[in-house]
This record gives sequence, structure tokens and C-alpha cells, in this order.
Amino acid sequence: MGEEMNVVEAIDVTYHYPDGTKALEKVNFRVDEGKIVALLGPNGAGKSTLFLHFNGILRPSSGEIKINGNSVEYSKKGLMKVRQTVGIVFQNPDDQLFAPTVVEDVAFGPMNIGLSKDEVERRVRESLEKVGMLGFEKKPPHHLSGGEKKRVAIAGILAMKPKIMVLDEPTSGLDPKGASQILKILYELNEEGMTIIISTHDVDMVPLYANQIYIISQGAIIKEGTPQKVFEDIETIRGANLRLPRIAHLMEILQKEDKLPFEKPYPLTIGQARKRVLKHFEDLQ
Amino acid sequence: MIENTLDNYAYTNSIKDANVSFKVLFAILTVIVCLVSTSPVIPLTITFLMLFLIIFLAKIPFKFYLKFLSIPFIFGFMTFIFMTVFFGISEPWFNIGIFNLAVYKDGLNLGFLVLARIMGCFSCLGFLVLTTPINEIFFLLERFRIPKIIIEIAMMMYRYIFVFLDESGKMYNSQQTRLGYSSLKNTYRSVALLASNLFIKTWSKGEQLYITMESRCYNGSIKTFEVQKSIDIENLFLLLSFEFLLLLGVYLTRGFKVI
Ligand SMILES: Nc1ncnc2c1ncn2[C@@H]1O[C@H](COP(=O)(O)OP(=O)(O)OP(=O)(O)O)[C@@H](O)[C@H]1O
Ligand SMILES: [Mg+2]
Repeated sequence: MGEEMNVVEAIDVTYHYPDGTKALEKVNFRVDEGKIVALLGPNGAGKSTLFLHFNGILRPSSGEIKINGNSVEYSKKGLMKVRQTVGIVFQNPDDQLFAPTVVEDVAFGPMNIGLSKDEVERRVRESLEKVGMLGFEKKPPHHLSGGEKKRVAIAGILAMKPKIMVLDEPTSGLDPKGASQILKILYELNEEGMTIIISTHDVDMVPLYANQIYIISQGAIIKEGTPQKVFEDIETIRGANLRLPRIAHLMEILQKEDKLPFEKPYPLTIGQARKRVLKHFEDLQ
Repeated sequence: MIENTLDNYAYTNSIKDANVSFKVLFAILTVIVCLVSTSPVIPLTITFLMLFLIIFLAKIPFKFYLKFLSIPFIFGFMTFIFMTVFFGISEPWFNIGIFNLAVYKDGLNLGFLVLARIMGCFSCLGFLVLTTPINEIFFLLERFRIPKIIIEIAMMMYRYIFVFLDESGKMYNSQQTRLGYSSLKNTYRSVALLASNLFIKTWSKGEQLYITMESRCYNGSIKTFEVQKSIDIENLFLLLSFEFLLLLGVYLTRGFKVI
């Protein structure tokens, strides 16, 4: 395939909530197949609202959503198809886990698709294994920790084998180890060919995994591009109530306050910073 | 919290994986035997039998089970006293001496029978509740052709009871940190706020839940996928002979009176 395909595309999407709140304003958002894309934005920017458009829960007041190049059809059949293609993991796992036990919750989606019992059982096992929750099958959700609930919620979507997985703040509320575990799972899924869309306000983690970043503020996309390109525009980032990754901020201070020769673009990850510092010492000698 | 521990034991006791149909049938048939018995002997036997099963087979801590049993016992005992004093129709057995109250023989017999039946039935229920995870009972209800909608509502209620216990606990703590319960007046206001807020939260949680279920292709009915094993003939035979033995006991002790 020469040209990469946009598997998810929002074109000029505007959305008003029934009470009149304008949550999205002419949003354009494109995701290439097989990529990890981050949607970065402060609280109340409209991240969750945009995500609810990707599987047809919300319908744009104006504009259009395309999945795999086709406009979403809001008929029962059309929605069924979209929801099998795009799986959403919600912000709060307690909203998602409703069944009395872990297995039943994970089996809920595949059962709805109408798969055979054997197939459902296999998928449940596979997905629980992928998120490292085998052995918790018979537990009720209220006996799980926050991180475990999140992993079960991911398994519930994995079991439906979506081509595209959308995660609304998958790492919020988790300890550092829990957060990196989740990211590792997502990384592996991506290696296997899954397209992944993540919303977050954790700017330090984003450059580690994202191929592409969108910045949303007050319902509008104000910046898009590779991590390097997006974090170059410091004014826009700060204007949207976000900040640079800590490492980039350190480099900025070293340049501006201490007059060290670390020019833009600032390194965004520890790995990049390390290279830059080592190079600086080599140049000195 | 007692609800929470009950639930914990149901998921962790050592016979949680035993056949559910068997456990339910066992509990129900034994309750029926308890109810048809006209003497307190068999209900009391059942109470001790269940005590034995719950403590030695299911390995529920003795202290916890006693606490659990104390609730029906208190009610049962009050009923016993009440019946002894007020339910007699024959000659009084002896006078207590205060308020002109007397103890009746038939009242005492009846009261003791009721107490024994309460304890027997409650033990059977306790056996079921303490050894069977609730989701398995839902499956069974489905097999008994209980309307799906009722089971689904029960399933979600069960799950969200714990979410709301948690939520109200958090709200209560946050009110308490800000001295919401420091005086009677504050307490009234705080409780009212907590209740109304919980109502609103229930509402919005319900909406959220619907969205997440729709995202997983929910179309109006929850399909369960676990297959229930039926009871094999051998065990069924064992169960029935046991119940028959109890019934025999009921027949033989039918004329038994405490006094
Ligand atoms: N059901 C609703 N009715 C009316 N307005 C809403 C509703 N849900 C969200 N909003 C508003 O829409 C805007 C966007 O909300 P959204 O939940 O999409 O933000 P978000 O980027 O996900 O924020 P967060 O990081 O806090 O999750 C906010 O101003 C919010 O107040
Ligand atoms: Mg959100």
C-alpha cells in the first residue's frame, strides 16, 4: 500500500451538548493505520466528548466521522459494525465493569457480537492473559484495585478484537509501575497491528509512545504533528494550560538561564537528553 | 461491614466450586422439611447439621457464623417469650406474678417450635449465602425461567450496591472532615445532602453505564455464557435419601412436646 489509510477521521466536527454547551468546534482529526496517536488537552477540553463520536455514541451537530474511509451510519446495523471496529476503554472503570465477576464482564462484548461459547471462552482467556489478569476470573470487580480494574476494562474491549482501540486517560490514577504496565500492554498491541488512540494530560509520557500528537483546547484542535514538532511551539502549549515535558523544560532553563548551548528543538525524553548532553561534552573536549 | 464480609466468604469459602444446583436444592428442600416439621427436634437437628457443614466443610470462622446466627436468634427468642406469655388457650401452667402474666404450656410449646423453625431455616439460608457466589445464583435463576429482565436488574443492583457503598462512604468522610456531623442541626443537613447527592449520582452513573454498555454492542439483553453442570444421578440420590431421612424423623417425632 503506497498511501497510508486514515482509519479514523473527524471532519469539521462540531458538537453541542443538549444543555447548549459547545464542547467541540470544527474539529479535524486523522489517524493513520497502525499508529499510536495521543490527544493531549487540559480538563474540560473536549477529549472524552470527541472520543464518544468515534463509535457513534454521540452524533456530530455538524461535520462527519469516517471509519476506515466510510461515513458512520447511525442505523442499528451500522452502529454495531462501528462498535466492533472501534473499541473504547472509558475513563472510569467503575462505569464499565458492571457484571458480578471478571469473566462475565469480559465475556459481555463478545457475547453481544454473537460468537459461539467456545470462541468467547478462548477470547476471554486470551485477553485476560494479555493484560496479566489470568487467575482473577471469578473475582467480583469490587474486590479489585484501581489498576486491576483498569486492566480488566481493557481486556473487556480486547476480547471484541477491535481494529482500533481508543483509551480515555488509561494511566490516570495509577502508580508509576501500573501506568508503565498499561503502556507496555498498549505498545505490544500496537506491534501486533492495532491502531491506538489515547487521551491524556501526562506530557512526560506522551513523547515515549506517540507517533502523532493532537492538542485540543476549549473544544478546538490547536496543534498537530510529531512530538518534536508539537513541543517546539512552547507558547501554544503553555497557552493551552499544558507544559513541556520536564526534560525539555530543564533544557530550556539550562539554555536561557545558564546560557548553555542547548538549542531548540529541546530533547523530550531522557534518552534524547542523554545523547545531547554527551555530545555537548564531546564538543568541549 | 457485614454485607461485605458475607460477600467475601461467598467468594472464598472452600466449597464455593461445588455444584450450585446441588447447594440450592439442598437448602430449599431442607427449608421445606423444617417448615413441615411439627416438633422442634428436626429443625434443631438441621440447625446443628448446618453449623457443622458451614464451619468444618466450608471453613467459615466460627465466631463470624455465631455473629451471623445471633440476629435470627434474638428475633426468634423474642417471639418465643411473646408466644409463651400470650398465646396460650388452655389453663396457665404457672403465674409469673407481675402484671398478672402467666406462662401457658401450649404457648411455650408453640413458641419453641417457632424458634426452632426460625433457626433451622436461617441456617439453611446461611449455608446458601455463605457458600455460593451470587453470580452463580443468577445463572440458576435463569435456568428456572425467571424473566431475564428481573435477573439483569438484580445483577446490576448487586454490582452497584458496592459502588454506592463506596461512594457514600467517601462522601460521608468528606463531610465529616469539614465538621458536617458536629451538631444535630449539621447532621440533619449533611444527611439530607448526602442522600440527595447519592440520588443524582445514581442517575448519572446509570447514564454512564448505558454508554459503556452500548459501546460494547449491548442490544437490550445480557447474554450469560457459563454452562451449568446438572447434578449427577448419584448425588441426587444421596440428597434425596438425606431429605427422606429427615422427613422420617419429622414423622417419628411428630408428637414430641417440650413439656
Ligand atoms: N453531559 C454533558 N452535558 C453538558 N455539558 C457537558 C457534558 N459532558 C461534558 N460537558 C462539557 O463539555 C466540555 C468537554 O468535556 P469533556 O468531558 O469532553 O472534557 P475532557 O477533555 O474529557 O476533560 P477531562 O480531562 O476532565 O476528562 C466541558 O466543558 C464539559 O463541561
Ligand atoms: Mg474526559
